[in-house]
Amino acid sequence: MLSEPLSLLLLISALAIEVLAPVLHLHQFGEAVRTARDASFSALFICSTAFAVFATIRVFRREMESGTFEMAVAHAVSRGGFFLAKAAGAFIALSIFALTVFSTALVMHKGAAIGGEIAAATGRLVRVYGPCVAFGMGAIVLPPVAAAACNRFFRCRFVLTAFLFSALYSLCGGITASVISWGVTARLFPAMLLVLCPIVAVLFSAAAFSMRFKANGAATAAALTLALILPAMDNYYRVEALSRGGALECAEVLLSILFALPAFAAFLLIGVHFSMGRE
Amino acid sequence: MDNQNIITLDNVRKTFRDFWLRPTVAAVDGLTISVRKGEVFGLLGPNGSGKSTTIKMILGLLSPSAGEVKLFGLSPRSIEARRRLGYLPELSYLHPFLTASETLRYYAGLCGLSRKEAASRTKELLEMVGLSDVASRSVGGFSKGMARRVALAASLIGRPELLILDEPTSGLDPISTKEVKTLVKALAAGGMTVLMTSHLLADAQDVCDRVTIVNHGKAVAEGEVSRLETSLEEFFLAKVGDVKDFRLAPFLGVSEKIR
Repeated sequence: MLSEPLSLLLLISALAIEVLAPVLHLHQFGEAVRTARDASFSALFICSTAFAVFATIRVFRREMESGTFEMAVAHAVSRGGFFLAKAAGAFIALSIFALTVFSTALVMHKGAAIGGEIAAATGRLVRVYGPCVAFGMGAIVLPPVAAAACNRFFRCRFVLTAFLFSALYSLCGGITASVISWGVTARLFPAMLLVLCPIVAVLFSAAAFSMRFKANGAATAAALTLALILPAMDNYYRVEALSRGGALECAEVLLSILFALPAFAAFLLIGVHFSMGRE
Repeated sequence: MDNQNIITLDNVRKTFRDFWLRPTVAAVDGLTISVRKGEVFGLLGPNGSGKSTTIKMILGLLSPSAGEVKLFGLSPRSIEARRRLGYLPELSYLHPFLTASETLRYYAGLCGLSRKEAASRTKELLEMVGLSDVASRSVGGFSKGMARRVALAASLIGRPELLILDEPTSGLDPISTKEVKTLVKALAAGGMTVLMTSHLLADAQDVCDRVTIVNHGKAVAEGEVSRLETSLEEFFLAKVGDVKDFRLAPFLGVSEKIR
């Protein structure tokens, strides 16, 4: 079965291809590079979802199996409240993660596109690849290095600080993109919403089913959810079109959110129900 | 609350069922006990006698199949009732990546303590259990005894009126065991009600005012420890008589000696 570290490895590989795609493009590899870039963009989306699902299942099952869930609900905490707080925490953490990954990928794509646009409009070659590649490489390297330094000198917790630095870097990505073109920022965040909608629905289904079933059962249930909400997954194609400079209608984003909300609410209710009945 | 009973179990039964709802084990079978305010009550019994299941029903973690459980006169699932209790489980369930100090602050948060109060209470309790020096170390690297002390401190963080201790001295060295017993006595002297389970009958005899002995989910004896004419161990063996059920004995050739 695909496990969490494997999905993380695939995710990093896909991100690396994304980052390297513009560099390879400079060397005139042509269609092959474009195919690799598109494939890696698909892999980013699929692996992010898989990683989100496995990470969520792991967080919940660890609470169940280590007995810390029992310890927590033996205090003045309602089981439903505990589930909601934990699910909200998982959602926030994974949203930051998804934002980091996708903002990096989109800045890379858009950086290449903008270079072409400026060249076509002004007739002069603007080297935007360099900053974009540097940004992409930095997204992979800088947060862990900074977190390691904080861990070494200030005893800060590595995972937490790496995560916070990634979020900060993602914000910097937004600012960098704004410097290149406001159009990128304007498109980046609606695109994030499109991507997050199906991830959130699947993530909450994984959380809900983890309250009742063991890891394999919860992963199977989450996979079934993914199959059921597959129509929403054409969001990916919209994001891809967006990265190529296509237009994004507000109605599309709204439709996606409206589609995800009932699924999101239903899984929250299922999760609360399972946690209340858990013995 | 009738006659200041903090915990009341009235003819409680708990039957575990399988996936098809067929009964598998009757863990508790018609248990009736009451724990009075300010006493140290011992729930004793051999392995698998239903002690932990009983404690989980008192904590609201399990629902009884029949009978009624009352905690401070309320349902054990009531938040108001659970606000007034502290719980030390049989195994110290702690988040391994949190430090001792963070663990206590986490449980202080669950008990609804303010940030300032949580910080002072954390410092006070870490000193009490002798872990001030390792307050900033992750509990994942602690020995079993140290983890037990952290869990004990966590159970006391909300200044509970009722303390439920499931095998409190499990995994502790003799000095720590003595310290825990002294602590339980001091807490009881301060007016706290304590319900504890233990396999170590000498420990129970040292600290408990009253005990109930359970076997196969049923109460086989109940009484005040001070009125015992024999040691608690002899009384326990006379009531439970588990040596006769010691299945390994014939294979070891020692059955006659044991009998």
